[in-house]
Amino acid sequence: MKGKRGAEILVETLKKEGVTTIFGYPGGSVIELYDVLYDEPSINHVLVRHEQGAAHAADGYARASGKIGVCLATSGPGAMNLVTGLVTAAIDSSPVIALTGQVSTDMLGKDAFQEADTFNITMPFVKHNFLVKDVNQLDSTIKGAIQIASTRRKGVVLVDLPSNVLKERAVSSSTQVVRFEGYNPNVKANKFQIKRIAKALLEAERPLILVGGGVIASDASKELVALAELLGAGVVYTLMGKGSIPDTHPLCLGMTGMHGKISANKAITECDLLLAIGTRFSDRVTGWKLDRFAPNAYKIHVDIDSVEINKNLEVDLPMVGDARDVLKGLLIEVKKAIKDRKPKQWKNRIKEMHQVCNGCHEGESEEKIILPEKIIAELNRLLPRDAIVTTEVGQCQMFAAHFLKTYNPRTFLSSGGLGTMGFGFPAAIGAKVAKPDKPVVDIAGDGSFTMVSQELGTSVSNDIPVIVCIFNNGYLGMVRQWQELFYGKRYSHTRIGGPPNFVKLAEAYGARGIEVEKPNQVRDALKNGLESKQTTIIDFHIGGETNILPMIPPGGGIDEMIGVERCRTI
Amino acid sequence: MQDYIISMLVENQPGVLARIAGMFTRRDMNITSLTVSPCEKEGKSRMTLTFRGDERGLESTLKQLNRLIEVVKVRNLSFERAVYRDLCLVKVATADASVRQEVIGLAEAAGGKAVGVGVDHLILERVGSPTKIDNFISIFDKFEAEELVRSGVIALSFEDESDERK
Repeated sequence: MKGKRGAEILVETLKKEGVTTIFGYPGGSVIELYDVLYDEPSINHVLVRHEQGAAHAADGYARASGKIGVCLATSGPGAMNLVTGLVTAAIDSSPVIALTGQVSTDMLGKDAFQEADTFNITMPFVKHNFLVKDVNQLDSTIKGAIQIASTRRKGVVLVDLPSNVLKERAVSSSTQVVRFEGYNPNVKANKFQIKRIAKALLEAERPLILVGGGVIASDASKELVALAELLGAGVVYTLMGKGSIPDTHPLCLGMTGMHGKISANKAITECDLLLAIGTRFSDRVTGWKLDRFAPNAYKIHVDIDSVEINKNLEVDLPMVGDARDVLKGLLIEVKKAIKDRKPKQWKNRIKEMHQVCNGCHEGESEEKIILPEKIIAELNRLLPRDAIVTTEVGQCQMFAAHFLKTYNPRTFLSSGGLGTMGFGFPAAIGAKVAKPDKPVVDIAGDGSFTMVSQELGTSVSNDIPVIVCIFNNGYLGMVRQWQELFYGKRYSHTRIGGPPNFVKLAEAYGARGIEVEKPNQVRDALKNGLESKQTTIIDFHIGGETNILPMIPPGGGIDEMIGVERCRTI
Repeated sequence: MQDYIISMLVENQPGVLARIAGMFTRRDMNITSLTVSPCEKEGKSRMTLTFRGDERGLESTLKQLNRLIEVVKVRNLSFERAVYRDLCLVKVATADASVRQEVIGLAEAAGGKAVGVGVDHLILERVGSPTKIDNFISIFDKFEAEELVRSGVIALSFEDESDERK
């Protein structure tokens, strides 16, 4: 690296570390870097239309591929616009590297043009961040950033790059292995703990596994399904865990929590052992009354991050470890000791719950208005099993979580922890870049999509075709639902109907727009969109006051769901 | 609620203090005292920090601190055999000569001494465990303590640190 400019070193190192795509937006402080990218053939730079889109796209890329996603923005406003997307990635433990321009080191702290204190502003949520002040340390910093982002509990690492560092030439070539004394990239699963968990699993009569995003992050789906089958244990998942087990698997009881399926929430209440893996027991999972969450169960919590142990829920048997290592170990231990002990009663109960809830809303529609669940039922019929679906946030997201059949890990991408409206569309673009051969669909609301609709420019001009299904009800639907149910139908500032005309908006960007007003047009519109090789917006006019139910009302426990009237009893 | 004392070995570079402080701020916790200085290991600093909390708060604090990349080691000294030291300086108004004699006498009797002499002030110093410092300060309540400063606690454990791993 001796004699090379900082910008060249940066690109060289990224290439060596296997980075092939950067989602970015140029600006004054990163011109030097863009100059190097100008004739760099092995890095695909995707020009977004707003930096938030770059962060979400990098996040979507990471979630779909399991590799790190990289986004790039200039100093000040560029870096600040990344922040929402970076927090979104951070809270969902998605491995993202953010490269941000910064004013030159001699101008730091002088309120220079486009100066923002990116280092401090991002500190509370990143896994780690760096402000590089010496070009000779650039190479090792980038390597370190990638190591930190992609090991243990994955996360966001930001590297702030003063403009002079990108211009200066290195005098020494540092190629040493990067090591942080305060960070061990490996986690070792304790064998004794695994044995204890295996013993508890074998003693349980009604075992249930609660799966979070950690199982997907550690690529442990196979092991998970094998263990569940071996034990005859039911499996419920969090929003982040969707895809870790096929929704059609007879042991799968769906998403649990505030907007969970009755089958999942009932299973939590009924089980006598709960093995939670790679989840942090967020309030959206447990409900608000912790004493009503799995009250009869011996609780085991496996997580890669010791901070999560006893943070939200105190458990009987905690264990720190990577989900895949632990599940592999459990498989070995359980296999050794298991006889034909699968508890029949529990097995039948799981079967019953799976069948009743899984077949919900599968029938032909006789409604006059388009129901969101019917659109998703059509998607279930039309989409190949490896298709990637992203979601925006709100009702559309919960409809997707409930009714969409997901078969594989990394094919359902949603902003779980932060609940960021506007995530789905740019994340879909990122996912499509990572997996160009798979169809990518964003299940959106009119509110969420409007927040990032400028990324139509990114999608069309970079030829990254995705399909956006807008569940257009003219409302900020989830908030409206709460206002209907808990605030006496006082729809304060949630009516956003009217503009824009989404078909014309799509066409203005050179994309396709399809308007769907009647239930009998749903299937053709989706077919049409999926067959096309073009970015397509399908504007479904759904009922304005459709609700996603059942749900746990605010303050309620997991067994206190409301809106169960339409559900079949289980 | 109880007082806890933590010792940390951290990288000696900009941002470390902000990261640690931020960890407390975000969880609505207050750092009661904090001392930082370079130590025997090159490029590292040792930090002693005290805060009030409950047992669960302590557990999560230790883990949160440990998770920071620039924190090399975290040690809970609250229940360990260790030496604790705090230092205070108290400025007392002593315009009256008889008061001055009394203050000097009291300071010495209480294990401190006068380390600064002004025309109408004395500056007293006391080094010792935090409780000793508390006592020392309370002795001078009846005089006009015009200014008071404490260094914050520093501590070293008798136990061996080397076999501890992060």
